[in-house]
Amino acid sequence: MKHFRNLSLQGKISLIYIIANVLVLISNIMLLAGINSMSGELDLVYRDNLQLNELVVALDDVQSSMTDYLNAKTSDSLEAYYRNEQIYREKIEVLNEEVTDLNFARMERNIKTMSENYLNMVAQTVEAKRGRNVEKYRVRYENATTMYEYIRTYIASLNNEQFMHNSSHYKELSEAFRLFETISLIIIVVVMLCSMFVIVRLAGTIVSPLKKLARQADEVAKGNFDVPLSEADSSDEIGVVTGAFNQMVVSIRNYIEQVRESMEVERKLKEKELLMETHLKDAQLKYLQAQINPHFLFNTLNAGAQLAMMEDAERTYQYVQNMAEFFRYNVKKGEDTVTIREEMELIDNYIYILNVRFSGEIHYEKEVQEDLLDIKMPSMILQPLVENAVNHGIREMAGEGKIKVHVYKKNEEVCISVKDNGKGMTSSCIDSVLDGTYRADGKKSSNGVGMDNVIARLKLFTGSDTVISISSEGENKGTEIIIYLPYEEQEEPYV
Amino acid sequence: MQEKLTKKSGGRTLLIIIIVMTVLTVICGVTVFRLYLKRFTQEHAGTKYDQYYVMITGDENSAFSSAVYEGVMEAGQEHNIYIDMLGEHFSSDYAREDLMRIAIASDVDGIIVTADESPVLSELINEAADSGIPVVTLYGDNTQSRRCSFVGVGGYNIGKEYGEQVLSLVREHPDLTTVKVAVLVNANALDSAQNIICSGIQETFDKTERIGKKIEMTLVSVDATNPFSAEEAIRDILMKEEIPDAIICLNELHTTCVYQAVVDYNKVGDVAILGYYDSDTIIKGIERGVIRATIAIDAKQMGSYCIDALREYNEFGYTSQYFTADITLIDKKNVAAYRKGGE
Repeated sequence: MKHFRNLSLQGKISLIYIIANVLVLISNIMLLAGINSMSGELDLVYRDNLQLNELVVALDDVQSSMTDYLNAKTSDSLEAYYRNEQIYREKIEVLNEEVTDLNFARMERNIKTMSENYLNMVAQTVEAKRGRNVEKYRVRYENATTMYEYIRTYIASLNNEQFMHNSSHYKELSEAFRLFETISLIIIVVVMLCSMFVIVRLAGTIVSPLKKLARQADEVAKGNFDVPLSEADSSDEIGVVTGAFNQMVVSIRNYIEQVRESMEVERKLKEKELLMETHLKDAQLKYLQAQINPHFLFNTLNAGAQLAMMEDAERTYQYVQNMAEFFRYNVKKGEDTVTIREEMELIDNYIYILNVRFSGEIHYEKEVQEDLLDIKMPSMILQPLVENAVNHGIREMAGEGKIKVHVYKKNEEVCISVKDNGKGMTSSCIDSVLDGTYRADGKKSSNGVGMDNVIARLKLFTGSDTVISISSEGENKGTEIIIYLPYEEQEEPYV
Repeated sequence: MQEKLTKKSGGRTLLIIIIVMTVLTVICGVTVFRLYLKRFTQEHAGTKYDQYYVMITGDENSAFSSAVYEGVMEAGQEHNIYIDMLGEHFSSDYAREDLMRIAIASDVDGIIVTADESPVLSELINEAADSGIPVVTLYGDNTQSRRCSFVGVGGYNIGKEYGEQVLSLVREHPDLTTVKVAVLVNANALDSAQNIICSGIQETFDKTERIGKKIEMTLVSVDATNPFSAEEAIRDILMKEEIPDAIICLNELHTTCVYQAVVDYNKVGDVAILGYYDSDTIIKGIERGVIRATIAIDAKQMGSYCIDALREYNEFGYTSQYFTADITLIDKKNVAAYRKGGE
């Protein structure tokens, strides 16, 4: 069976065919042998009769050649007589000479002895004829003829008896034939059933892995890749196909897993992008609400600046120019990323405006590492921070308000610190700002970009949660907000 | 996994068993058939015998011949001799003389022949003797030949038995003054046995003269030249106006014919039939009261005597010239006992 399993498909099918055929062949050979022996018996039935008929013919030949010789005394007839006598002698030689209780055997014996006597008589007759002893050969001829008649009758009787006996023998034989038929039928049926069993059994061994494979393939076709895989337990073509199929299913599973993972990443990226876009849109929307003002303001301010220049009012011109710059930034850079430099310039403008407005109360100080100025960051980040520092930090304090912006590199991160010496924040306030639950009470003095928006956009930009830290040493001791940007090596600007 | 393995090995065992069983079925079937065939081909071997005698009777199919043959065979078996009833298996009917010639030409070891005094038979018996084949005459003798022995019945005794039966009939019918007795004899006068019987009867009758009754005995010759003439001749006798009081038959065929004719012509009781031999038909006739009595011959004994004579002759060159078989009279009184004993 093990060897069978290791055969190729062709080998298996051939083996099944050979086994079934060998079974049938064996039974057929046996049956043929039976038929052969029976037909041999049947031949025997009439062989004796044939033999006796030949004997009669030979006897007739002897008698007729003797008569011919007596009639004409030709040398031809004498020769024929000798020949026929020899033939007849040979024929009677094979006859039985024992006395048994079998009728035919005794009759054969009698025919044999009578024939010998007859042949002697014929010889004597021929002898007498040669010696031209007319009286003698006539008497001898008559005696021989009588004997000839007796022998003929005897042979005929034996023939008849034998025929009758053989007929009954034939009957027995035909009964045996019928028995043989029954036995053959039983054998054939048994052999057929067994070969069927063997074929079904072996074919089952071949087909069952194929069926299993088909079931699995069907499952896989329906999309179920988690089908239990069966081992290939044969080394034929089906075994090979099963192995290949298993390999294929495993590969598909892995591939699907990979695709799923990459899709997950992509989905996350897309989500992030979408979110970023949403926040930007949100910010933009807020600016758009105020856009009429900046555009209008920007144009009018430009007109105001030209007017101030014509009137030689240098400081007015400067002031209006700064305001125009500030609003231009808002109009232009309301989108996408900008460099730290641009953000810093915006703060410069903003502080200038405020100082003009609040007559130089705010001491603005900046400490910037020049090489970090080209680092990219989201727009409209620093200005709201400074605005917050002004509005919530130093405006409500007495004394000189200070704001310091410090841009530096620390641990592969670009840190932008906005520090004030204002009234400071409580730790609960810091927490609520950081998790976005802080709401300013009523008055809306900023130009619309809140801390939550700033923090969210920073998170989206950096892809990290730690983008901002707020620290305050206590009441009236100021606040420091630091944002962390990833440091990316700037390409050398083209000269 | 374990279960799967067991299942697999179980399936393999089943497969092997099935294949082996198929082959076994085929082999067994063929062997059974071969044995069957052998059994009946073996039936053909025969037993060998040392000597071969033939028996020639005029009538192979009569109960008497069969009974003698039975006796002959029985005695022959003891000495490993086979005896053929010659002519039994022949396709054409041969006369006794032809059968004698065939027997001589067949070079048998002995011949038993139902003879009469015909010279042709004498010649043939002598020819056989010349060829070294001993011949025993059975029932009828051929005294002129060189037959080695004669096995017969005591004709004279039979005659006396018949005579006694007629006398008792006379005594039963005192009113009859003249009793007519017909004796059916074969037209072939060469049969010496029947002459002896007749003289036996006659001698018995001679005594009756003293009791004052007259018994008229007539010999009725029955023509036996043609195969069926005996029956016709017997019917002729019974169709005559005057029928005999008693009919004595000297062979089995005549007895049967007379019996049937008497029944056919409604003459039962008018004619007393004295039969010969104890065939079934004749015994039945006695039981029915149609036949008065019959003579039973111990045919088996006769057969045994034949074999003894031939054997002795072959062995010692001579044997007893005469063998006489026992006879028994069967009538209504002892027929029942006879039947019982016979069975």
